[in-house]
Amino acid sequence: MKIIIESSQPGEEDTVIVRCAQPDQRLISMLRLFQAAKTEFTGYLDGRIIPLNYQDVFYFEANENRVFAYFYSEVYEVKYKLYELEELLMSFDFLRCSKSMIVNMEKIEYLSPLFGGKLEAHLKNGEKVIISRQYVQCLKSKLGIGEVK
Amino acid sequence: MIKEFLISLLHYFMDITTAVLIAAAIYMTFFGQPMESSILWEILFSGFITALPTAVLICFDTKSEKHSLILWSIHFLLIYVITLFLLNMFGWCSITPVSALITFFAIIFIYLFTCLAHYINDEKHVLLMNQQLKKRYSIDKNKSE
Repeated sequence: MKIIIESSQPGEEDTVIVRCAQPDQRLISMLRLFQAAKTEFTGYLDGRIIPLNYQDVFYFEANENRVFAYFYSEVYEVKYKLYELEELLMSFDFLRCSKSMIVNMEKIEYLSPLFGGKLEAHLKNGEKVIISRQYVQCLKSKLGIGEVK
Repeated sequence: MIKEFLISLLHYFMDITTAVLIAAAIYMTFFGQPMESSILWEILFSGFITALPTAVLICFDTKSEKHSLILWSIHFLLIYVITLFLLNMFGWCSITPVSALITFFAIIFIYLFTCLAHYINDEKHVLLMNQQLKKRYSIDKNKSE
């Protein structure tokens, strides 16, 4: 199956066109799931409620029973537990990178190895996030890499 | 998690045992001591015993570099104490300030050897992962440029 992504015209609504012989149940379920997938969530900053988009998040971090969403330079509190976010973001390119963090893979500029099998993710905003050894295999799977000989 | 632990244990066991064998070969070449067959089992045993805390250590999820450094320092001291204990137990050498110092440097050598081996391996993986990341998100990059 070929996947073609084309740039739309400015102001034009994003459209998904599926060209196939006959749409099967799997394809219909997948498209319904895609349509229903929430891309927005609520963030809290100084008592204000702000609508935010998952795609703009660099990473989520749990700190002292509170979870924060880190954007390019802003930080908002979210009312989700980290495991709830992990489930919600399953269909997005988010990766659990440690016990207290979930990183947006799209925001990773590059990776570098660290002492003890860990990796350091250099994000596009200049921040660095540590990927624990136990989550490196998950990252490899998400990137479609098997065992390297 | 258990599978990860066992794989790590096996990897570290192989690396440490290889490094101990190299260190033992160098020591025997220079000090010319006769070798008994039991020493091979002792090397294997010491490789396993020192690989165990290493495999346990990497299961810890460190939040900062400082935390990581503290854990690795504790690990180094633990390995040092275990090695001194094994040296004494197997009668490889008596514990004197000189032998303790030689052991200290031998452990640093083994540390550097295993860390370098793992780092080279990780670099190879990271190179591939960076290529995949670039390939996967190049559409976004082109869009934003």
